[in-house]
Amino acid sequence: MPVASSKRDSLKKCQPTSRTERAGALRVCAIKDGAVLDRKLRVAVIGGGPSGACTAETLAAGGIETFLIERKLDNCKPCGGAIPLCMVDEFDIPAEIIDRKVTKMKMISPSNREVDVGKTLSETEYIGMCRREVLDAYLRDRAKANGATVYNGLFMRMEKEGPEGGYTIHFNSYEEGGKVGKPESIKVDAVVGADGANSRVAKEIDAGEYDYAIAFQERIRIPDDKMAYYMDLAEMYVGDDVSPDFYGWVFPKYDHVAVGTGTVINKSGIKQYQQATRDRSKVKTEGGKIIRVEAHPIPEHPRPRRAQNRVALVGDAAGYVTKCSGEGIYFAAKSGRMCAEAIVAGSKNGTRMVSEQDLNVYLSKFDKKYWLTYKVLDILQKVFYRSNPAREAFVEMCESEYVQRMTFDSYLYKTVVPGNPLDDAKLAFDTLGSLLRGNALRQGAKTVSFGSKQPEKVAA
Amino acid sequence: MPFAVIGGQLQCLSLNHQRTTTCRRRSTRTLMRAATTAAAPQAKAPATAASSAVPAGTESQQTIQIVDGKFSDYRWINGSWNLESSAFKGKEGKVDWDLVIDAEMARRRLLEDSPIPSTNEDPVFFDTAQIPWWAWVKRFHLPEAEKANGRAAMVGYFLAYFVDSWTGAGLYDQQNSFLGKLALHLVVFAILIFRSNDSLASLKNLFDEATFYDKQWQANWLNTERPKEQD
Repeated sequence: MPVASSKRDSLKKCQPTSRTERAGALRVCAIKDGAVLDRKLRVAVIGGGPSGACTAETLAAGGIETFLIERKLDNCKPCGGAIPLCMVDEFDIPAEIIDRKVTKMKMISPSNREVDVGKTLSETEYIGMCRREVLDAYLRDRAKANGATVYNGLFMRMEKEGPEGGYTIHFNSYEEGGKVGKPESIKVDAVVGADGANSRVAKEIDAGEYDYAIAFQERIRIPDDKMAYYMDLAEMYVGDDVSPDFYGWVFPKYDHVAVGTGTVINKSGIKQYQQATRDRSKVKTEGGKIIRVEAHPIPEHPRPRRAQNRVALVGDAAGYVTKCSGEGIYFAAKSGRMCAEAIVAGSKNGTRMVSEQDLNVYLSKFDKKYWLTYKVLDILQKVFYRSNPAREAFVEMCESEYVQRMTFDSYLYKTVVPGNPLDDAKLAFDTLGSLLRGNALRQGAKTVSFGSKQPEKVAA
Repeated sequence: MPFAVIGGQLQCLSLNHQRTTTCRRRSTRTLMRAATTAAAPQAKAPATAASSAVPAGTESQQTIQIVDGKFSDYRWINGSWNLESSAFKGKEGKVDWDLVIDAEMARRRLLEDSPIPSTNEDPVFFDTAQIPWWAWVKRFHLPEAEKANGRAAMVGYFLAYFVDSWTGAGLYDQQNSFLGKLALHLVVFAILIFRSNDSLASLKNLFDEATFYDKQWQANWLNTERPKEQD
C-alpha cells in the first residue's frame, strides 16, 4: 500500500498536542470544527456493503478523499437480496444486476390459506432479486470510479488523537492475498461505520447494543420443473411453527431458491423453525440440493447512539432494518448516501473540517424521512405476527386489492401514502373483524381480545 | 340506565334461540365441548381435534384429520366447508353457522398442532367472512356484552341514585340534561374500557408496547441536541 504508507510517514510528525504547528504539512489532528483545511477532508468508510459503497460513492463525488475498507470483496450475505423499485431508479441499478423480477408474492397462513399479493402491480413494477456479491461489487466499483480508494482489509481498531484530533484506522491488509493480513494504518478526519450488525466501529464509539433477530437461510438448487414455479414468485409462510415472531420464506435467487426463516424471541429454536419452513414448503422444493447454509444477525432497532464526534454509523451498523418485512438494503444504501451528503455539505465539499453537528443533520433528516415507515411496519408486526389467529387475519386481509396496492406501493416506493379515508376506515373495520373472528376461533370465546393473552389449554 | 337494562333483556331473548337456552354465560369448557362434539355429530370418529390427528381408519366419513399430508373431512370440498352438506343443516334446512364455526375451530386447531405442507394442488378458499357477522356476535360476543351491560346498568343505577339524592334531579331530569347524557356516555365507555381489574395493567402494557419502538428510535436524541430544520 504505497500511497497509504507514504502518507503515514508524512503524518508521523503530527502529535495530538501540536495545535500550534504551522500549516503546510498534511495534518489531520487537532482541527476545530468548520476550520478551513489546506487539503481535502479525509474520510474512512468501514465496510463495503450497499451502505458503505454508497457512502463512499457520494463522498468521493463530493470532493472528499475517501477510503473504503472491506474484508470480503466476494461476500455473499445471507439476505433475501430483494431491492425495491425506487432503489433501482434512485441508485441507477442496471438491469443486469437484477437476476429475477418477482411480481407475485404468495402469503400462506398457518391453516394453509394462500393469497397471491401482487395482482395490482403494473407491467413495469416488480421486486428485484439480486445476488449480494454482484450488487455489492457493482456499487463498490462505482465508488472506485468516483475516486474512492478501496482497500481489501479487516478493520481492527481506531484511535482518536485528542478531542479535536483525527482518527488513526488500524486494519489488516489482505491486498497481497494470503490468509494472514499485514497490519496497516491510515489517518483520517472522520469515520463512517458501515460494517454491519457486528460493527466494530459501533463498539469503538460505544454506540450501545441493539436487540437482533437471527436469520437462517438455506440455498437449495431444485429441479427445473420445480424452479419454473418460482420463476417470478416468492413465498412467505407465517405461523407459530415457522417463526414465533417473523416469517419463513422461499425466495427465488439466480438459479436456485433460498429457504429461510428468522426469529428474535427464540433464537435457539432457529433450526427447528427452519425445519418447519422446509416442511411447509416440502412439496414445492423437494428433491433439491443444498448448496449453501447461512445465518446472520439482523438488527431490530437503531443503536442508542448513531454518531459521536466525527464518527457516524449507517446501514445495519446503525440498525436500520424494518420490522415486519425485515428489509434493509434500501435503507442501508439511502442512509449511506444521506450521511455522505451531510458530510459533503458540512465540509463544503471537503474544504472544511466536518463536525458532529453535521453528522447529526444526517441522523435528523433520516429519522424525519423514514420514521413513519418504520413505525407503521412495527405496528403491523406487533398486530399481525403475534399469534396464529392474527396471522390468519393478516392473510385474509391481503386478499383485498386495496391492501395489496397499499403494501406494494409502500414497499416499492418507500413512502407511506395516505389512501382514501373512506377506504382506510373500511380497511380498519375489516381488519378488526378478521382479527376478532380469528381469535374467536382459537380461544373459543373465552375473551374477545386481540390475542394478547395466551389461549388456555383446554382439556379435551 | 334504561337502555342498558333493555339491552340485557334483549340478549336473553336472543340467547334463547341458541341451543343453550339459559341466559347464563357459558364457560369456555362448555363451549369447547360443544365445538368438539358438534364437529362429529354423525361419524363416530374420535371427537377431539388432538386425537383426530391419528387417522380413524375404518370410518367411511372422515372428520378433521390429516391423510397423506392433506387435510381431510367429508364436509370439506374444494378448499372450503361445503355449506350444502347436510351435516351443517340446522332446523328448517338452513345452515347452522355454529356448526361451521365448530368445524373451522377444529380444523385450525389440528393444523396448528400438526402443520401440513402447502401445495398448489388443493388451495384453501374458506374465508371466515363467509360466516355472517350475526353468527359471530351471537356466539362469541353476547356473553361478554351481557356482563358489560349488567355492570353498566348497576353502576349507572347507583350513580343516578346518588345524583338524585344530592341534587334532587330525578332520573327523568338527568336523562334530559346535557350533563346527564354526558355522564351516561362516560359511564358506558368507562365500563367498556375497564372491564375487569386487570384492564388497567393491560392498558398500561399496551401503551408501553406501543411506545417502546419510539423510545428505541429516539434514544439517539436523549443527550444530543437535534439540529434545527434545514434543507
